[in-house]
Amino acid sequence: MDMSQYRGLFLSETREHINKLNQLVVTLEQKPDNRETVDALFREAHSIKGMAATMGFDQTAQLSHHLEDLLDGFRSTGKVPASTVDYLLDGIDLLEGLLDDLQSDKPERSVDTYLAETPQQQPVGGAEIQANNPEEFLIAVAVEESAEDTTAKGLEIEAEAGSAVAIISEGSGQEPTPEEADAFQVLVDLAEDTPAAAARGILILRELEKSGVLMSSKPEIAALRSGAPCRQIRAWLRTSLTKLHIEESLLRISGVDKVHFVDDRRKGESVSREEKTRTIRVRTDLLDQLVNLTGELITNRYMLRSASSGLDWQQLSQTLAQTSLLIDDLHHHVLQARLMPLENITGRLPRIVRDLSRKTDKKVTLQLNGTSVGIDRAILEELTDPLVHLVRNAVDHGIDKEGVVTVSARREKELILIEVADDGKGMNPDLLRRNAVERGLMTSPQANALSDRDALMLVCLPGFSTAQKVTETSGRGVGMDVVKSAVVNLGGTLEIISEPGQGSRFQMRLPLSIAIIKTLLVSCAGRSLAVPITRVQRTLDLTTSEIQQSGQNRTFRLGEELVCLFSLAEALGLPEVAAGAITWVILTDVQGRRIGLEVDNFLGHREVFVKSLGFPLNLLRGLSGATVEGNGQVVFIVDPQSLLEDRQLFTNVGRI
Amino acid sequence: MALRIMVVDDALFMRNMLKDIFVRAGYDVVAEAENGEAALELYQETKPDLVTMDIVMPKKSGIEALQEIMASDPHACVVMVSALGQDSLVLESVESGAKDFIVKPFKEDNVLAIIKRITA
Repeated sequence: MDMSQYRGLFLSETREHINKLNQLVVTLEQKPDNRETVDALFREAHSIKGMAATMGFDQTAQLSHHLEDLLDGFRSTGKVPASTVDYLLDGIDLLEGLLDDLQSDKPERSVDTYLAETPQQQPVGGAEIQANNPEEFLIAVAVEESAEDTTAKGLEIEAEAGSAVAIISEGSGQEPTPEEADAFQVLVDLAEDTPAAAARGILILRELEKSGVLMSSKPEIAALRSGAPCRQIRAWLRTSLTKLHIEESLLRISGVDKVHFVDDRRKGESVSREEKTRTIRVRTDLLDQLVNLTGELITNRYMLRSASSGLDWQQLSQTLAQTSLLIDDLHHHVLQARLMPLENITGRLPRIVRDLSRKTDKKVTLQLNGTSVGIDRAILEELTDPLVHLVRNAVDHGIDKEGVVTVSARREKELILIEVADDGKGMNPDLLRRNAVERGLMTSPQANALSDRDALMLVCLPGFSTAQKVTETSGRGVGMDVVKSAVVNLGGTLEIISEPGQGSRFQMRLPLSIAIIKTLLVSCAGRSLAVPITRVQRTLDLTTSEIQQSGQNRTFRLGEELVCLFSLAEALGLPEVAAGAITWVILTDVQGRRIGLEVDNFLGHREVFVKSLGFPLNLLRGLSGATVEGNGQVVFIVDPQSLLEDRQLFTNVGRI
Repeated sequence: MALRIMVVDDALFMRNMLKDIFVRAGYDVVAEAENGEAALELYQETKPDLVTMDIVMPKKSGIEALQEIMASDPHACVVMVSALGQDSLVLESVESGAKDFIVKPFKEDNVLAIIKRITA
């Protein structure tokens, strides 16, 4: 049976189980004698074992089996000794590492060392099984695997398994061992229209098998045997031959177009990222709705066709109206399908906080609020690292000795607000200003001109760090700038609210979806441009008398506030059109400060499908993408934040 | 000594074409067969270094002939010749031990490159 189709599901589901394991162990540490927690831990390990064994992932199965047995031993008492908690956490880390291996198509790392370190207090089973002979060991494990009810006896077998496996690999000295041989990924591209590509793929894998140890491949040989499509073969190879040699032998195969090698770890990770996005679980009722909607759209198409062939304008416009409702509905449901709860990434946080507070000798409580809120999968994945970073920062810098870190999320109209707050010592704007000057990031008058709010944002400048000393976890001055650019890249904003002694709050506001967005279409210097609606606080029409010149800047009054006014045309380097009696202004937000953006006119709202810009257009600042209008015209999407952030930071006009 | 080749195909046109390619390249075409059965007999008789084997043939198909040749001589070097759109047959041949395959219509260079690679 071809298991490769279940691989993605296995990986994503096991990650969830690992998340739960981490949470449960932290809970366990706080309440060591909670039976239910031990039971739940056992069940998680049991689930992973079952899946891994079915997939044939040997090391993962062995490790989860071992953890399962270990936990099973504690179920009778409902207590896990404190000394075992670290061992469990190490095991969970190892499981995570194994998944990383599998995800990036590498062979699983060995769990032997870990298994050998089992703490003493595990219960010992009845008859001992001597496994000096590898064959005997294999039989013993096979029997054990098939037995549904695992008892502590299994542990003995697994403990022996380590040594038996070691003997086997020592014995087979023929193949190059991992240390002396070079291991890398080989990517073999087939020419377009290669006939019988699957068969070609098998020949390629055979050739690779001749060159060394072929550890795994994608597509797998089994998939090729059943005729899987094949444009590229990715194979993980361990060999003592040179890459040139391998490349030459592969290029001799008919149909092979290109051969490249990947041994850079980072590239491997990007491959795994690609893979991560591939599976998503969708509720079946949602799928049913999608099918229904598609059905209705098909009916609609026939109605449109008949209306257009009969030149029945009334029917045509009615049907069009229906179609657009259906499309709205479809859009809504598809977005729903892409939403995943924030919990998916906050699951790791309790463990991270626990480890970090131990390391820094602080007492930190983590609170999670509203984490069931749904976020587009693509955004969620990009958000993982920034969120972890903010939480680490909060523990490391925010909290002094003891305190609470709160991660909360809620929907704000078209946006999601995610906040990481601590009740620690807060941030001191004066200290930040001084720091910026000391680091030569700006002059003293510039720093003094910054509002307190802008001064807080200084921590997002590259090369800025207020940590007194560099710690392992944060404070190297790389970090907040990365967090900020990640948020901005997703079309979101980052805001910092803090006062000395009052704790700090880091607020990320993010769009619900990044593929289809609502925009305000404006005309500017004779062309149409789109501004994401999430960036528009409101629109204004100002008469000439409402606009004042103050020094270099134009300003206008909005209630109590004096707001800076910029011309969009000027900011984009387009020729400015002479202003009429009325100035049309978009009120937007740049680095937490309100500014006005002057345009020539408003053209209305549009839902647009965002296409990313290719090189070299992607180098243009202030443009986040493009979309195609109904008439085929390309409309650029403006991102006011990136367009104006530099000039905004060092003016003080907005202050009252 | 020149490489000794047997060409198996039910179409005389194809046999001639392949034969010409091989002769031009300096190889020795030692046998020709027009079906699987004849191929098996001639294989035992001439023990060629390499066989090009059409897949769809009367009496005994190329795949059956390949399987029997491989059973009698595990080191046999057989290259399948298939038409476009016979992917599953090609796959089966490769699974049965064919060293490579040529897809019709083919180019001379391509055929020679394949022969060269597997006899290297």
